[in-house]
Amino acid sequence: MERAFQRTQVLTNHLLQSSSPLPSQTLSSNACLSYSPPELSENCAFDVKEMRKLIDGHNLEERDWLFGLMKQSELFNPKVRGGKVFVSPDYNQSMEQQREMTLKRIKYLQERGVFKGWLTEKGEEIEMRKFAGFEVFSIYDHSLFTKLGVHFPMWGGAIQFCGTKHHHDKWLRDTENYSIKGCFAMTELGHGSNIRSLETVTTYDSNTGEFVINTPCESAQKFWIGGAAKHATHTVVFSQLHINGINQGVHAFIVQIRDVDGNICPNIRIADCGHKVGLNGVDNGRIWFDNVRVPRENLLNSVADVSPDGKYLSSIKNPDQRFAAFMAPMTVGRVNIAIGAVYQSKVALAITIRYALTRRAFSLKPNEPEVLLLDYPSHQRRLFPLVAKTYAMSFAANYLKVLYAKRTPQSNKAIHIVSSSFKATFTWNNMQILQECREACGGQGLRTENRVGHLKGEYDVQSTFEGDNFLLMQLVSKALFAEYMAAQKRNKVFKGLGLEHMNKPCPVIPSQLTSTTVRCSQFQMDALCLRERDLLNRFVANVLKCKAKGENTEQAFNSCYELAKDLGRAFSERAIFQTFVEAESTLPAGSLKDVLGTLRSLYASICIEDVSFLRYGYLSVDNGANVRREITKLCNELRPHALALISSFGIPDAFLSPIAFNWIDTNSWSLV
Amino acid sequence: MISRLLELFLAYEEDPNVKLVILKGKGRAFCAGGDVVAVVHDIWAGGWRAGANFFMKEFSLNYLMATYSKPQVSILNGIVMGGGNGVSMHGRFRVATENSVFAMPETALGLFPDVGASYFLSRLPGFFGEYVGLTGARLDGAEMLACGLATHFVPSAKLPMVEAALCDADSSDPVIISSIIDQYCEKPSLKEQTVYNRLDVIDRCFSQRTVEEILSALEREVVDQRDGWIFATIQTLKKASPTSLKISLRSIRVGRVQGVGACLAREYRMVCHVMRGEFSKDFFEGCRAILLDKDKNPKWEPSKLEHIADTTIDRYFSKVKDEDWEDLKPPTRSKFNLPPYVIAKL
Repeated sequence: MERAFQRTQVLTNHLLQSSSPLPSQTLSSNACLSYSPPELSENCAFDVKEMRKLIDGHNLEERDWLFGLMKQSELFNPKVRGGKVFVSPDYNQSMEQQREMTLKRIKYLQERGVFKGWLTEKGEEIEMRKFAGFEVFSIYDHSLFTKLGVHFPMWGGAIQFCGTKHHHDKWLRDTENYSIKGCFAMTELGHGSNIRSLETVTTYDSNTGEFVINTPCESAQKFWIGGAAKHATHTVVFSQLHINGINQGVHAFIVQIRDVDGNICPNIRIADCGHKVGLNGVDNGRIWFDNVRVPRENLLNSVADVSPDGKYLSSIKNPDQRFAAFMAPMTVGRVNIAIGAVYQSKVALAITIRYALTRRAFSLKPNEPEVLLLDYPSHQRRLFPLVAKTYAMSFAANYLKVLYAKRTPQSNKAIHIVSSSFKATFTWNNMQILQECREACGGQGLRTENRVGHLKGEYDVQSTFEGDNFLLMQLVSKALFAEYMAAQKRNKVFKGLGLEHMNKPCPVIPSQLTSTTVRCSQFQMDALCLRERDLLNRFVANVLKCKAKGENTEQAFNSCYELAKDLGRAFSERAIFQTFVEAESTLPAGSLKDVLGTLRSLYASICIEDVSFLRYGYLSVDNGANVRREITKLCNELRPHALALISSFGIPDAFLSPIAFNWIDTNSWSLV
Repeated sequence: MISRLLELFLAYEEDPNVKLVILKGKGRAFCAGGDVVAVVHDIWAGGWRAGANFFMKEFSLNYLMATYSKPQVSILNGIVMGGGNGVSMHGRFRVATENSVFAMPETALGLFPDVGASYFLSRLPGFFGEYVGLTGARLDGAEMLACGLATHFVPSAKLPMVEAALCDADSSDPVIISSIIDQYCEKPSLKEQTVYNRLDVIDRCFSQRTVEEILSALEREVVDQRDGWIFATIQTLKKASPTSLKISLRSIRVGRVQGVGACLAREYRMVCHVMRGEFSKDFFEGCRAILLDKDKNPKWEPSKLEHIADTTIDRYFSKVKDEDWEDLKPPTRSKFNLPPYVIAKL
């Protein structure tokens, strides 16, 4: 009864001012910290709804509907904290329980018609709707996002793009309504990045018309296969295909791994990858194939086929090209990871900045109230550049999604390179943002229910799955090298990937940078293009030098890894910046455009503050200092817009966490 | 009456002798709602602004109650519908009895659940709020308690004792008030046919994206089970104004993530558009058919859900294009140090 008494006291304080101190209080109200919601003291200079439309880009109603579906269901673990409802998985559950909950949530969403058309409809509209769905799920839980990612774009995508009509007819509908649960068996214990050297082997038995799939040694076991350990009924296996003694390279085959009752199929062994540092809502499994036989039709044959009598057939003779064509559609996985990363950054920043708008520490003068965290220049310097990065990534993500949704065979190469570059950049940015946000929330960042700190473990895997980030950046630089060489053949004319600036004269950086210049988008573009141009020239020159010394191309690339890393970064940041400028240009003059312009300058400035500008001499030490000074000024200018900027993320309160709201009341004794 | 209630509530807040406010009705209703016929007459006589004025006052009263610094106990011993909910649901304590009948029946009239219903309906479990708001379903006292619309259930015979005890205690302390009402409380059993046992169907159907999809989902349920209740629900939806259904659905969904002040401000915009009759005159047709001529056969226009574009629905949520028109500005409650997202319901 005592507790109920005290509990209602606290809840009463929501509505009553404690001008007449309650009898149980011995401290006067002045001596205690009180919580004041940021909405009371912060202003909104621009239309938050318009900003959200700009950064989310599409399908706002669908997103809000999905938020509503999750918030209103017990399955998504709603918890009341300080009078508000929050939804977040219970990470204190056992691994087994978390896995079951993920599946239950998926079933609920499927029953509500969320996935209708995800595989059976075609066109831009459904592609964008799916992206919006994944972005919303990444806000709630990475396990949910990943388990859906494995089933829809990976398993489902493989059927759609690597398979042909009879595969579509047989598998797509059942996948869409979850009658079967798919997974994607590509990675092996011994090979993750280098999929061309996978060790699973498939041969063809022309007597029975079956493929025989086998795991010849322990390093060939499939590893990290999401969904395989507990739930998946089917998988698409990537394996070397040996026909008549010739290895025709990696191909994909559909294999059923569990029956309808959940028993593992004969000749298949499955083990669990075990507990992980995060993402324990996904049941990652290990798979061995012991001469598993599947019908000939189970080969996903969009690019190559095997005739009933065992002849290998393909219209693409070159194995490299054939492999590229085969794997091209799987870039959607990379796109999904990239865009999901942006949204986790948004969650973390929304929580952290709201907290910083209500948390105080130290007074500047005696007898003054303590200062809000976000009023410290140092705190602004830590967080606002991350907000600028997140906005930049939002625009770049929207560009990438549209590029993918509108893809043609000609644009596949560009998608491959841009998605690799953005995936690496966004996921690295995301981990940096999550770490900084955790630190900026101090001790509260360690509580799982406050979400900010916990996200790190959940999302850490992003930098190495779906393409190791270091490798992806090398891939980008190799592609740029190839573009350079191709341009030489075309009379030095660059086309595509935004490299057209290479055709123009080299941009010139003014010798003395003023504040106005630093904020000028032309200067910012020039600086980023200059870096990209110079690094590309140097990289090509160095690679050619190594080759002249007798190294082959691969060895030369390896020798030039430092330049490759810097070049990959330069390309990414220039490409991302370009999308920011384009988004800004769509706006009419006004407060929205002004704030966005400030953010854009901040993003450009932190790219230009990077050590590469000094190392390679694009900026003098003095100019570097000028840029640095400008960054502090820009952060200061953004301070009044902090709340509006993160409210524009459009994330409902229930998907943030208690420290974004009244964290004093939430922690009161009566609510224990 | 609204003006009088506003006066009284404002006065009571300042008066230190007033510890709590008890609101009850006379006869078989707590309050059956606003005098809609009078509003329609006002509009015919003085234009849409006359109607707007009524709603502005009413919503201001609703906001005052939602942010009131003293506890309000509403004794819902009878019909509580429409505007009656506006003056009770935002209060701290809502006492239902075996005579209570709750409804937000506006969609049948060409209006939409207003008086902050987009706030309190959207906070009901699952998608029950959409069901109640779109169908105008009647709920009894037990159902009101079960879903949280009522905070207590007291048999009507004991009401005088509750009142007396509250007056005796003469306290503003919600804990004390709650424990007093608790003493006379009962836990009513839900009737066998209660709609509250159909939450799984309700959630499946009323969680759908659009009104059309809700109807299709309900129709699919009928195929699976021969069920009078589902059939009746479908009929109710089909008889309601299509425009009302669409704006009500969006209102509840948007309201789910807004505070009560924002909900009321938004509903004010919507009701002004309804009264201006720019996109549909269903409100006037509904009043004619149900309240005036009573032929119960309204001719809605647009008559089909498919004929109503999303862009038209958008317009109900935007500002009114009229130089004299202003957004509802809930009275400043700053001296009571209220957060903008006031939690009106416990």
